[in-house]
Amino acid sequence: MISYILRRLLFMIPTLIGITFLVFMLVALSPGGIGAALTAQAGGQMTSQRGVALAKARLEDRYGLDDPAPVQYIRWLGRISPIKTGTRDLIGPSGETIRRPKPFKAPPLWEWFAKDLPRARASQLSVASDSPDDLRIETFKRADRLYADARAEYISSLTAMKQGLGDYAKARDIRGGADAKGQGRPSVLKNYPPDQASPEWSVLKKPAEKALADYQGALDAREDLIVAFNARPYRRAGLSIIPGVLSVAAPDLGTTFSTQRPVIDLVKDHLPVTLLINAIAFPIIYLIAIPGGMLAATKRGSALDVVLGMLFIALWSFPVVLAGVLAIGFLASNDYLGAFPVSGLHSNAAPQMRWLPGSGADGRFSVGYVVDTVWHMCLPVLCLVYGGFAILSKQCRAAMLDNFSADYVRTAKAKGVAPRDVILRHVFRNSLLPLITMFVTIFPAMLAGSVVIEKIFSVPGMGTLILRSIADRDRELLLANTLMIAAVNLLALLLADILYALADPRVAYD
Amino acid sequence: MPSVPPQTLRAQPTEAVTGVQLAQGIGVAEAKGFWADAWAQVLTRRPAAAALGWLSIVAFFAVFAPFLASGHPVVMRELDASGAVVRTTSPLFEHLRAADLILVIGVPLAAAWIVPSRRDRASRLGACIFGGVLAAAIVLIVSMVQGTISVREPSGWALWLRQHKSAAIIVPSLISALVLGASVFVPAIGGLPRRLLVCVSACLLAGAATGITWNRPLQSFSSYTADEQNGRIQATYTVIPWSPGQRFSALDRLPPGTTLGQGLKLGAGTPGARRTFLLGTDALGQDVLSQLLHACRLSISIGLVSTGIAVLIGVTMGALMGYFGGMVDLLLYRVVEVFMAVPLLFLLIVAAAVLDEQMRTTYTMMAIIGCFTWTGAARFTRAEFLKLRSQDFVQSAKAVGLPLRSILFKHMLPNGVTPVLVDASFAIAAAITIEATLSFLGLGPVDQASWGKLLSSATSAEGEFKWWLAIFPGLAIFLTVLSYNLIGEALRDAIDPKLKKARV
Repeated sequence: MISYILRRLLFMIPTLIGITFLVFMLVALSPGGIGAALTAQAGGQMTSQRGVALAKARLEDRYGLDDPAPVQYIRWLGRISPIKTGTRDLIGPSGETIRRPKPFKAPPLWEWFAKDLPRARASQLSVASDSPDDLRIETFKRADRLYADARAEYISSLTAMKQGLGDYAKARDIRGGADAKGQGRPSVLKNYPPDQASPEWSVLKKPAEKALADYQGALDAREDLIVAFNARPYRRAGLSIIPGVLSVAAPDLGTTFSTQRPVIDLVKDHLPVTLLINAIAFPIIYLIAIPGGMLAATKRGSALDVVLGMLFIALWSFPVVLAGVLAIGFLASNDYLGAFPVSGLHSNAAPQMRWLPGSGADGRFSVGYVVDTVWHMCLPVLCLVYGGFAILSKQCRAAMLDNFSADYVRTAKAKGVAPRDVILRHVFRNSLLPLITMFVTIFPAMLAGSVVIEKIFSVPGMGTLILRSIADRDRELLLANTLMIAAVNLLALLLADILYALADPRVAYD
Repeated sequence: MPSVPPQTLRAQPTEAVTGVQLAQGIGVAEAKGFWADAWAQVLTRRPAAAALGWLSIVAFFAVFAPFLASGHPVVMRELDASGAVVRTTSPLFEHLRAADLILVIGVPLAAAWIVPSRRDRASRLGACIFGGVLAAAIVLIVSMVQGTISVREPSGWALWLRQHKSAAIIVPSLISALVLGASVFVPAIGGLPRRLLVCVSACLLAGAATGITWNRPLQSFSSYTADEQNGRIQATYTVIPWSPGQRFSALDRLPPGTTLGQGLKLGAGTPGARRTFLLGTDALGQDVLSQLLHACRLSISIGLVSTGIAVLIGVTMGALMGYFGGMVDLLLYRVVEVFMAVPLLFLLIVAAAVLDEQMRTTYTMMAIIGCFTWTGAARFTRAEFLKLRSQDFVQSAKAVGLPLRSILFKHMLPNGVTPVLVDASFAIAAAITIEATLSFLGLGPVDQASWGKLLSSATSAEGEFKWWLAIFPGLAIFLTVLSYNLIGEALRDAIDPKLKKARV
C-alpha cells in the first residue's frame, strides 16, 4: 500500500509538469503573450519614453519576460523545484527571493559599429562579507538602483537604435528589413553589408554608438551588483549540498506581476476559502444523497421512485450559473426576498465581531463571526451542493438495486433477516463502494463549479484568483493556481483510491 | 460489449409459424438494425419523447430564426414623392448570411431525403452530416479569404480580388471545387453515386450561398424607421420585428410585454411605433425573444460540433491506446491524465480567456471545447479496445494481414463504439452547459446572441435583478440540457439494461 501511494505520488510529478506546461503554452502563444496586460499598464501609466523603458527593464529583469517562452517555463520549473543549482538565492526582508542578476543581450549588429563587443570591467566596488549588515544592505540597495537605471538607459537607447535600423532599412530599400513597428530586423539586415558612406549611415551611427555605450554601462553596473550580491546582504535561501553548485531550498512560487505580492501569500489567503466551501459541501451531499438514493431504491417502481428519478436528473441538468443567478435574484436581492447577503464571505463589520453571538464591546448585539460566515456561505454552498447530490443519489440508487438482486440478499431474506437489516446491513454496506469511486467524478466538477460560484457571489477564493490571473496574463499567479488546483485534485483522487482499498478488503494495490 | 447480431428475427405473435415456414422466410418480421432497435425503444419512453420534441423546437428555431426575428423588413416598397411605389425590395433576404441560406435550403432538402426512407435512414443521415461538414468548411474558408481581402492595405492577390467584382463568383466556386476534389479521398459514405450526389449538392449550395452573400451590406436598422417616418418607404416586418443585435440605448431593461407608445417612442407615427417587446429587453436595449431564438443555433451547433470533434479525437486516441497497449498506451495515457489533472472548466476558461475578442468566434469556441473534452471518449474506447484486441475476430483480421486502418475502424470500432455514442448524448449536454457558463463569464463568442450572455445581464453591478433576463434564457438552457440528458438515459437503458450507472 505504501509503495502504491509513493508510486502514485511520483507519477503526479510528470502530470503536474504536463498540465502547467499546457497552461503556460496556452498563455504564451496567445495574442499579447505573457504579461500583456502588465506591459500595457506600465506603458499607460508612464507617458515618458524613459519611464516606459524603466518599467520594461524592471519587468524583464525581474520576470525574464524577454526570454523565449520555453526558457521562461524552464526557469519557473527551476524555481519551484526544491533542488537548485548554482549560487543560492537571498531572501529579502519582505520574504521576496532575490536572485543573481541574469545576463542580458548585446545590441544587434554591433559588429557594424565596433570592432569588439564591450566587456564588463572588473568592479571597483568592494564589500567584505564580514562588514556590518547595514553597510552591505545599503551597498546592495544602491547597486540595485544604479543597475536598474543603467538597464533602463540601455533599453531605451536600444529601442532608438532598432528604430534607426528600421529607418536605415527603409531608406536603403532593403526588403523585409523593418518589421510592422518600423524596427529593424537584424536577421535580414545582417545579410546586407553596411554602406558606411551613405547619408543614412551617419543618422544611424549616433543611436547605435549610444546603445553600445549604454550596454557597457549596464554591464559595469551588473558587475557591481554581483559583488554586492555576493557579499550576502540578506540571509540565504535553503541548505547547501555542494557549495555554489547544488542546494536545497523551499519552492518559490514567485511574485505576482500585478500587485508585486508573493504568490504564496495570495494562495494562502484564497485556497482555504475554496477548500472550506467544498469541505462544507461534501458532508451535506453525502448526508442527503445516500438516504435519498436508498429511499428511491427500496420503493423501486413506485410513484416516489419515478418522481425522485426525475428530480435527480432535473437537478443534475440545472446549470450552476442559472442556480447562482436565481439564488442571488430571488433570495438575496432586496427586490425580492433579500434574506441573504449578495456577495462576499463576511459582512463589513466582521473584523470587529466576536466569535459567537452576543453583545460586543460597545454593548450592541452582534451575531458573531461564525454565524455571519455561515450566513454568507449558505447560497454558495447551496449552489455547489445540488449537482453532486443528484449524481450521487442516482448512483446510490443504482448501486443498491444491483445488490438487491444479488444472491446473498436472497439468502439473507430466505433465512429470515428483517427487511430493515437486509437493507442497512447487507445491501447498503456493499453499495458504499461505488459511492466512494463517485468522489473521483464529483470532486473535479465541484472544484470547477466553485470557480463559477465564487465569481457569481464574489467570494474571494481560488476561482476569483484564477480569473484575475488570466485577465492579467500573470504568469506566476496562473501557474501557481494551476499547480495548486491540480495538486488538490490529484491528491483528492488518490485519497479516494486509498479509501476504496480501505473499505473493500478485496481491493489490493501493489 | 459483446458483438450484437446485426439482425434480430422475430415471429409475428398473432399466428403460429412452423419451422418450415420460418425457413422459407414466411412470418419473419422485417429486421431492424441494432441502433434502429435501440432508438425505437428510446421513443417509447415518454420523457425521452418529450425531450426530442423540445429539441425539435430548438432545432426549428436554429434553422428559421433569421426569418422569424429580424429588424429588416421582409418587403420594403420605396415610394416617390407622390406616394407611388417605385421599387420593391426585401432587405431581410439581402442581409442573410451564407450560413442562414445554406441552413434554410439544406435542412428541408436533407429532411425530405432522409425521413421517407425507412430502411436507409441512418446512412442517409450520415451522408447529410458529411455534406454539412463540407458546406461548413467552404463557408469557413471563404470567410477567411474575405477577411484577408478586407484588411486595410491588401497587397498582391488580395488587392486584385478586392478590385474585381467577379471575385464574388471566382473565389467561392474555386474553393467549392477544391473542397469537392478533396472530399473524393474521404472514405465513402454509401456508394459512389450517393457520395457524388451529396458532395456535389453540398458544394453547389455552399458555393452559391457564399457567392450571393459575398458583399454583404452593413446592417443599419435606424434608417428604416427614419424613412418610414418621412413616408419614403412602406415596410412589412416579420412576426418579431427585432434583430438580436439591434440596440436601443433608451429602451434598456423593459419588462416583458412592453409596447412602444406614449412614453417610449421609436419613430412616432409609423406602424412600427406600436411594436411590442414580448419578452422585454436586456441591459443594452436588445429584444430578449429575438436573442433567445437566434441563440438556438449557437447552442445546438456548439453542442453537436464540439462533441463531434471530441469523439473524433477521443476515438482515434483511445483506439491507438487500446490496440497497441504497452509503450503507446503508457505515453498517450499520460496525455489523458494531464487533461484530467485539473477540472475541465478551468482549462476551458484559460483557453477561452487568452483569445482576442476578434478570435472568439463560434467556430473557435467549438474547436476549443472539442479539443479539451476528448478524454472521456478516449477512455471509453481504450477500455473497449483493450477487451476486444484479444478476441478471435481481431486476431484473424490481423492474421489475414488487413491494414491497421481496417482492423481498427472497420472491425473493432463497430463493436466498441457503443459506450462512446451513449456517452455522446451526455457530452452534448455538458458542452451546452460549458458554452453557457463561458458566455456567462464573458468568455463566449463575441457578437453572437447566447443564452448564457443574456443570463449574465440579469444581475447588474448595482444589485438590480431583472427576472425576465434570468428565467427565459435560464429555462432554455435548462430544458435543452435536460433533454439531452433524458435522451442519453433512455438510450443507455435501451442499449444495456444492466448499465444503469449514473455518469457525469
